[in-house]
Amino acid sequence: MKKNAKHSRSGSPWSFFTSGYLVLVLLFIYLPILYVMVFSFNDSKSMISFSGFSLRWYEALFSSRDMLESIWTTVEVAVIATVVSTVIGTVAAIGLSKARRLIRTIVLEINNLPVLNPDIVTAIGLMLLFLSLKVRRSIVTLTLAHISFCIPYVILSVLPKLRQLDDNVAEAAMDLGATPFKALTRVIIPQIYPAILSGALIAFSMSFDDFVISYFTAGMDVQNISMFVYSMKRFNPAVNALSALIVIVVTVILILANLIPYLKDKKNNKEEQET
Amino acid sequence: MKKILCSLLALVLAALPLLAFAEGTDEDFGGVTLNVYNWGEYIDEAVLREFEQRYNCKVNYKYYDSNETLYTKLSGGDDPWDILVPSDYMIERLIKEGALQPLDKSIVNNLDDLTDSVKNLAFDPDNTYSVPYLWQTVCIVYDTTKIDPAVVEEKGWDLFLDPAYKGHAYMYDSSRDAFMIALKALGYSMNTDNEQEIDAAHQWLLQMNSALNPSYVTDEMIDGMAEGLKWFALAYSGDAAYILGENEDMGFCAPKQGTNIAVDSMVIPAKAGNPRLANLFIRFICEYETSLAISSYTGYASPNAKVLETLSGPGGDYEGNDAYLPRAGYDLDEHYVDNVALAAKLSDLWMKVMAAR
Repeated sequence: MKKNAKHSRSGSPWSFFTSGYLVLVLLFIYLPILYVMVFSFNDSKSMISFSGFSLRWYEALFSSRDMLESIWTTVEVAVIATVVSTVIGTVAAIGLSKARRLIRTIVLEINNLPVLNPDIVTAIGLMLLFLSLKVRRSIVTLTLAHISFCIPYVILSVLPKLRQLDDNVAEAAMDLGATPFKALTRVIIPQIYPAILSGALIAFSMSFDDFVISYFTAGMDVQNISMFVYSMKRFNPAVNALSALIVIVVTVILILANLIPYLKDKKNNKEEQET
Repeated sequence: MKKILCSLLALVLAALPLLAFAEGTDEDFGGVTLNVYNWGEYIDEAVLREFEQRYNCKVNYKYYDSNETLYTKLSGGDDPWDILVPSDYMIERLIKEGALQPLDKSIVNNLDDLTDSVKNLAFDPDNTYSVPYLWQTVCIVYDTTKIDPAVVEEKGWDLFLDPAYKGHAYMYDSSRDAFMIALKALGYSMNTDNEQEIDAAHQWLLQMNSALNPSYVTDEMIDGMAEGLKWFALAYSGDAAYILGENEDMGFCAPKQGTNIAVDSMVIPAKAGNPRLANLFIRFICEYETSLAISSYTGYASPNAKVLETLSGPGGDYEGNDAYLPRAGYDLDEHYVDNVALAAKLSDLWMKVMAAR
């Protein structure tokens, strides 16, 4: 133990190695994103040489109705799918956490299947289902498909958090006069809120960038951004501009999500001190 | 008197729309939707906005990425697409299956300017079902500072067997294009289903593997050649036109052994929801101004002879760009014939070639 402590001190070769490794891993993750962002400002169509700064691909992005339409479709579907699947998934997880062990195991195995299954199987399965039910494929079938593949992720994210909960707290709330619904909304959900949020975020990103399932379940009047990009006969750098904007939006959301609770805490502390 | 005036006025009012027609003002479709299914990045969007304004309609314009996905999507449902733009061999299949409807030639009446190389092709001898949208050939793009143009012209596809260029070439990772050049290099038809000829082509490709060891890529090739990363590459002429425009060291060669002419044409499915507007759309695309805008935006050759002249002529977007104007009227150049079994077989053999690297 002592030896380890010595090694982890800064300046030693070991710590140099570990931090260098960390830097490498981070580079591996962030360089491609950075590359795309830099090339979104390229003056030419090339993805290899940077010939000068320009905003032409941002202009192209905002003047292409087709591209904006498919972005809108993507966001619309992702938001609806996230909200619906988060509600269904959370409720299912709460139910499961109270279920008998055997039932819980069986349901969880069934829940894991679509997660492990290749997308293409789910996609063809859903397409055949809609065809055999004679449901015309449209934005509705697309959204239904997204809801169905998002639910398992929400359950998987919420269930572990529920297991950490003390059952007595909800029971105490009901002893003190809360209705079961109130106990759910005022006691259980606030405790598992972070898990619900992370489940919703996973669901949103799964829905946002899904291609295969969307391709087989969307009707002819809808196209999401993945389908749009995949079908390009030749690459259009406006996609770089779009990717850069998405990265910026996600970064801002993440910063806010981390900053707001921190600021709230600070404010509360201040108020406590004042009183 | 008043009565007469009134009825006169009524008559004039009733006749007004007719007059408007007589002057060539366009029909009003009251905001209906025209469903167009085309390749991605294959049109200047401004063209669609103009069509919408002219006929007061909405164009629902969606993309597919290959003839095969288009075919799957079509057979997977009864979506009333109004316009599709498949390639030659896929149109042949769709005609055979009765999935298309003949064009209304009283509306699509502006086909006089179609250039000969894309008119009345074998899969649709009288352009009954289809009108060309854009077309191109498969060719070689090469760095003139690395390879002498005379050598490229002399060798043609055999350039791909020359060990002197080992590691300096791009090859499309596509069984269709690979077997096309192998069969052409050997002097066979690219539509052959003769076992021996196909076997010889397979051997040719294996030899290319060991002699040239090319990088097997798809569209990365476009940027790579524009930057001069390799000495030569198999390319579609539309992409070649872009590469030549970006890098003036690059040269273009339509090999002497013959090549593939690929035509994407507009067709109207039998189940189309709005055939009249679809026919008007085809006429609109065939107009000089429209075709000019599309060809100029994409770099692929227009089927309209006058547009080809403008764009490749003095002051045109592709003046002095050898790749823009595909070779016409060359006996050894061929179109694909639809043959599902052959395509599957070539695809299997191509996997063996790739595995043998």
